[in-house]
Amino acid sequence: MEFAIRTEHLTKIYASRLIAVNDMALEVPKGATFGLLGPNGAGKTTTFRLLLGLQRPTAGRAEVLGQTCGPNAVGVRRRIGYLPTNPKLPGNLRPTEYLDLLGQLYRLPHSVRKPRLASLLRAVGLLDATDQRIDTFSTGMSTRLGIAASLIADPPLLLWDEPTAGLDPAARRFTLDLIRQLGPGRTIVIATHILSDIDQICDHVGVMHEGRMVFCGSMHDMKRRLRCDDFHLDLDGPPEQIDRLARQTGELEGVEAQLRGSHTLVVRVAEKRGRAEALAEVLTLAAGADLSLQAIHSGRNDTENAYLQLLQEDIAHGFHRFDLAVRQPDDAVRGNPAP
Amino acid sequence: MPFVAILRHDLRGLWDSRLVRLWLVAALLLALVITAAHWGQTPTAILIAWLVAPFLVFPWFLVVMVLGINPVSGSRADSLADGLLSRPVARHEYLAATWLARVLVVLAVFLTSTLPPIVLVALAERPAATDTVAPYGVTAGLGVVALVLLLQVSLGFMFGTLLRRLLSAVVVLLFLWYPINYTLDFFRLEQFSPVSLCRAVPELAQRPWRERDDLPSGVTGDDFEELGQLFVRALTFQKPKPQPKPFFESDEFRDVSLWQVALGYGVPTLLAVALTAFCFSRRDL
Repeated sequence: MEFAIRTEHLTKIYASRLIAVNDMALEVPKGATFGLLGPNGAGKTTTFRLLLGLQRPTAGRAEVLGQTCGPNAVGVRRRIGYLPTNPKLPGNLRPTEYLDLLGQLYRLPHSVRKPRLASLLRAVGLLDATDQRIDTFSTGMSTRLGIAASLIADPPLLLWDEPTAGLDPAARRFTLDLIRQLGPGRTIVIATHILSDIDQICDHVGVMHEGRMVFCGSMHDMKRRLRCDDFHLDLDGPPEQIDRLARQTGELEGVEAQLRGSHTLVVRVAEKRGRAEALAEVLTLAAGADLSLQAIHSGRNDTENAYLQLLQEDIAHGFHRFDLAVRQPDDAVRGNPAP
Repeated sequence: MPFVAILRHDLRGLWDSRLVRLWLVAALLLALVITAAHWGQTPTAILIAWLVAPFLVFPWFLVVMVLGINPVSGSRADSLADGLLSRPVARHEYLAATWLARVLVVLAVFLTSTLPPIVLVALAERPAATDTVAPYGVTAGLGVVALVLLLQVSLGFMFGTLLRRLLSAVVVLLFLWYPINYTLDFFRLEQFSPVSLCRAVPELAQRPWRERDDLPSGVTGDDFEELGQLFVRALTFQKPKPQPKPFFESDEFRDVSLWQVALGYGVPTLLAVALTAFCFSRRDL
């Protein structure tokens, strides 16, 4: 498998003795939409800054598209489109001037630069704001301009740090749709702590906690880690019918049913029973009871649970997290937390 | 292309800043006041010294140093990392472009506020114009002041990088530059002090291209030897050899050597820029 990003024992300790990134092994496959998850202060932004060469690692190394990262790795930065959290952009410029400046930094010829910046401003919905100075922009507008800036050179790798932070629902929806559209043919790494965003757009995920990569693998692997086998059925109909359905469901073999509120039925399937088969029987009963099914959620697909479980496991490991043996880079990829 | 792009961007940012605009207006007004006040009674060479004095002695060195500190310190460092240095720009390219932008702005303000009055007082028929200034001499005098300004920008750049915080850098520079005349006097390098240079400007302004045909032009071995001895004496705290006319006691300033001044200011400028580049290339953003 080819990797767009590969780090080995990457460590960053600040002068204030804060360990921001701790012996991190990260491998992002080429073409993946990778979600970098972690609570505030987990080291996500520092990881991005190390990859961009804005900071020097205390130990270890990082490679982006086969090139080593560092302050003078101009070639690496040429292939990265970076969107910082709430980007601080030159306030005295207008959007076209800023994008034009960035186009020059990427050494794009005039004939490519001008049409591209116009189409990017149109794509991010800032055409109406081209005569405004950037310091008059709202958070959402700055983020949109930051997105356009990260795409000006059409780079093969995008590093977006909390792209939906501070955005209203419409802007958030726009950003997530854009990520989906950009996905094919590009590697996208999104750092966030908003789990629903990751759930919607990412096919690979890495979970960071206290500077360490506690999980790195596919979304499928992460969700499989969940222990619970619940279905939540949101039903519409008379409460007495829903109550009767709950009783009938509870009588099925290997199935437990419990009402949560007046319209939600929680169905728990035992290990020995096939989930699909059990669910089919419950749905047949619901159809027979003349109840309307509003929504169905599966506990197995709950990314939030998986994420919280990983963090709890990492905390519970306590001193066992200290690893005397030199960890191999593929330890994290196999989807296992540190011992 | 990135170097030129950042240079243009920074020049524009500087021109848009209130500090530069206010400084330009204030420098023009001060030059106007000095010219008007000395019009009738001061000889041209001395009037030129009066016009450059605000840049050499007080108050404009403060503005020059703050301009030098600005690009790599304070809140600007964040937008710098987010906006520019996360793009394919080498750090030395950024430093070179922002340093050059500041040097160009400082020299532009200096020349805009001093050159027109100098040309005016040199060409106009004034009751006080008894001396003769030479174009070469005036150019040399302005060049000396430009060198001092270059060092001030570079010192600002260096301390802005080393100390990161704008206020700390300003305070340190104030404590360093304000007593510079006393410091240079203590190290027996008084001919390099801004006050001495200001007093030497009238003599420089009257100096022709070549005073005597038998004098060699350009830097000579004697200049290097003299400069070396000066620094050795300063560093070893030796007393200077007895001279027939000590530098400060002779108000004629005929022995001021342009090459010594150029090296005396040029070498520290280069060192400051080199140290800044070294620190900035190793710094986390």
